[in-house]
Amino acid sequence: MSEALPLFFVSAMGLSLLLYVILDGFDLGVGMLLPFGSNSEKDVMIASIGPFWDANETWIVMGVGVLLIAFPKAHGIILTALYIPVTIMLVGLILRGAAFDFRVKSADHRQPMWNKLFALGSLMAAMAQGWMLGAYITGLTGSTMSLAFSLLISLTLPALYIMLGGAWLLIKTEGELFDKAAHWCRLALPAMAFALLLVSVATPLVSQDIADRWFKLPDAIGLLPIPMSCALAILGMNWMLRRPQVLHAGYGWFIFVALMVICLMAAIGLAYSIYPDIVIGRMTLWEAAAATESLQFIFWGAIVTLPAILGYTVYVHRVFSGKATELSYD
Amino acid sequence: MMLASLLTSAFLVAGVCAWRMIQGVDGPATKMVLKTGIYTAAIIIPLQILAGDLHGLNTLEHQPAKVAAMEAVWETEKGAGFTLIGLPDEEARETRFALKIPYAASLILTHELEGEVKGLNDFEAHPPVAPVFWSFRVMTGVGTLMLLVSWWGAWQLFRRGALNNLALRAVSLMTFSGWVASVAGWYVTEIGRQPWIVQGLVSTADVVAQHPTATLSGTLFGYVGLYIALMIAYMKALRIMAVKPAKTLEQDSNPLGTPLMGTSA
Repeated sequence: MSEALPLFFVSAMGLSLLLYVILDGFDLGVGMLLPFGSNSEKDVMIASIGPFWDANETWIVMGVGVLLIAFPKAHGIILTALYIPVTIMLVGLILRGAAFDFRVKSADHRQPMWNKLFALGSLMAAMAQGWMLGAYITGLTGSTMSLAFSLLISLTLPALYIMLGGAWLLIKTEGELFDKAAHWCRLALPAMAFALLLVSVATPLVSQDIADRWFKLPDAIGLLPIPMSCALAILGMNWMLRRPQVLHAGYGWFIFVALMVICLMAAIGLAYSIYPDIVIGRMTLWEAAAATESLQFIFWGAIVTLPAILGYTVYVHRVFSGKATELSYD
Repeated sequence: MMLASLLTSAFLVAGVCAWRMIQGVDGPATKMVLKTGIYTAAIIIPLQILAGDLHGLNTLEHQPAKVAAMEAVWETEKGAGFTLIGLPDEEARETRFALKIPYAASLILTHELEGEVKGLNDFEAHPPVAPVFWSFRVMTGVGTLMLLVSWWGAWQLFRRGALNNLALRAVSLMTFSGWVASVAGWYVTEIGRQPWIVQGLVSTADVVAQHPTATLSGTLFGYVGLYIALMIAYMKALRIMAVKPAKTLEQDSNPLGTPLMGTSA
C-alpha cells in the first residue's frame, strides 16, 4: 500500500496535467488567435470556448493540488523555483477570466481593449507555462543553459496551443473562419514541430541518466513508437492542412486528434525519462511523498473528485457539441 | 463563510435594486428581487452573528492570542471590559483613549461576568494588535449595520409591502457592505494567526520562500494593482448594467431570458 499510493498520486497528477495541456491548450490558443479574427468572428471564437474554458482550468488546480498534498516537499522546491513564471501565469489567467466577462458586459467602446487583454492574458499564460516546462526539464538549476532553454520553450510552446486552438475552431466553426483556422494551423505547425524537437533533444542532454535510458538497446527499440507516432501525426496534419477539400469534407477533427496523440506521446516520453524522480536529479517521488496515513486519507477524496471532473467534462462536451454561434448577453 | 457569502450576495442584489428604484429605471422584477434580497439578509444576519459568537468561543480555546488582540486586552483579568473604541499602542502596551463597557469582554467571550480573559502580555508571541483590533471593529460594525438595515427594511416590507425613500437609500448604501465585512473578517483571521501559519506548530517566518525582497514586493504590488484595476472595471460594468432601463413584462418576448450559452446543441 505504501508503495502503491505515491504511484497512484503521481499518475493522477500526470493525467491531470496532460488533460490540462490539451483542454486549456485549445482555449488559450483560441485566445491568442483572437486578434486575427474580424469583430463578428471574435464573438464566435469566444462562444466556441464559452461553455468549456473555466472547467478546463480545473485540471491544473487538480494537478498542482495533488502535488501540494501528496508530494509537499517537491511542491515546495518546484513552486519556489518557478515563483516568477507562476505569478506571470496567474496574472495572465486572471486577466483572461475577467476579460471574458467584461468584453460583453462593460461599455461597448471598451470591447476592443478587453479583447486585447484576453489575447494578452492567453499569451502570458502560455509563455509562462512554456518557461516552467523548460525550467522543470532542465532540473530547476537556474544555470545559463537552463534559462536559455526555458526562453526557447516559452517562445515555442504557444505554437502548440495555437495549433490546438486552430484545430478546435476547425471542429466548432464554419465558413470563412474555418478557412482562417486552417491557415493559422498551417503557420503554427512548423513552430510546434520545432518545439517538440527541442524538448526531445534537450532532455537527454540535461542528464546522462535520461540519455542512457533512451539510447540503450533493446529499450530503444521499444521506445520507437513514441517518436514515430509523433512524426506520423505531424506529417498527417501537414498533408491534410494542405488539402482544404478534405477538411471541408468533415475531417477537421483529425487535426485535433493528431495533436492529442502528440501530447500523449510527449507525456509518456517525459514520464519515462524522469521516473522515479519528481524533481529531476534531486528528489524521487518516494522521497517527496507525504506520510502514508495522509495519502490514505486523501485517496478517498481523489477517487471521488477525479471521476466527477472527468464526468462533467465529457457531459459538457456532449451537451455543447456541434458548431458555435455568437455569444450575447442582451 | 457560506453564511457570509449569502449575506454578501443578498446585500449586493438588494442594494443594486434599491439604487435602480431611486433612479427610476426599475421594472416589475426589481421589487421582487429587492424583497428577496432584504428577506434573505434579514434571516441570515442573526445566524451569522450567532455563528460569529461560536467562532469566537472556538478561537478563544485554540488561538487565545488572536482574541486578546481583537479585544486589545493587555493584562490577564477577570471581568474584563470590552473596548468599544480606542488606539492600541503596542510600544506602550496600553490602549489610549479607550471607551470601555465593563465586564462585556468576559461576558461575550466566556459567557460569564467574571470569566478570565488572558492578556497579550502573558503570551510569548502575539499578532500585531492594531490591525486585528481595527479589522474586528470594522467587521462587527458593518455586521451591526447589516442587522439594523435589513430588519428595518424587512419591517417596512412586512407592514407596507414597499420601502420608503430613506430605507431605499440606506439599502443602496449597503450594496458593498458584504465585501467590506468579509475582507475585514479575513484580516482578523489571517493577521490574528501571526506569527504562526499553523497555530503553535509552524511559524510563518520558517516556511516563507527565500526570495529577494524586490521579487516579493514587486509581485505583491503587481497583484494589488491588477485587482484595483479589475475592481474599477467591475464597478463600471455593474453601473452600466444597473442604469439600463428594465424591460416591462410585455416587452420581453422571451420570458425565460436570453440563452447565455453561445453554442447550439
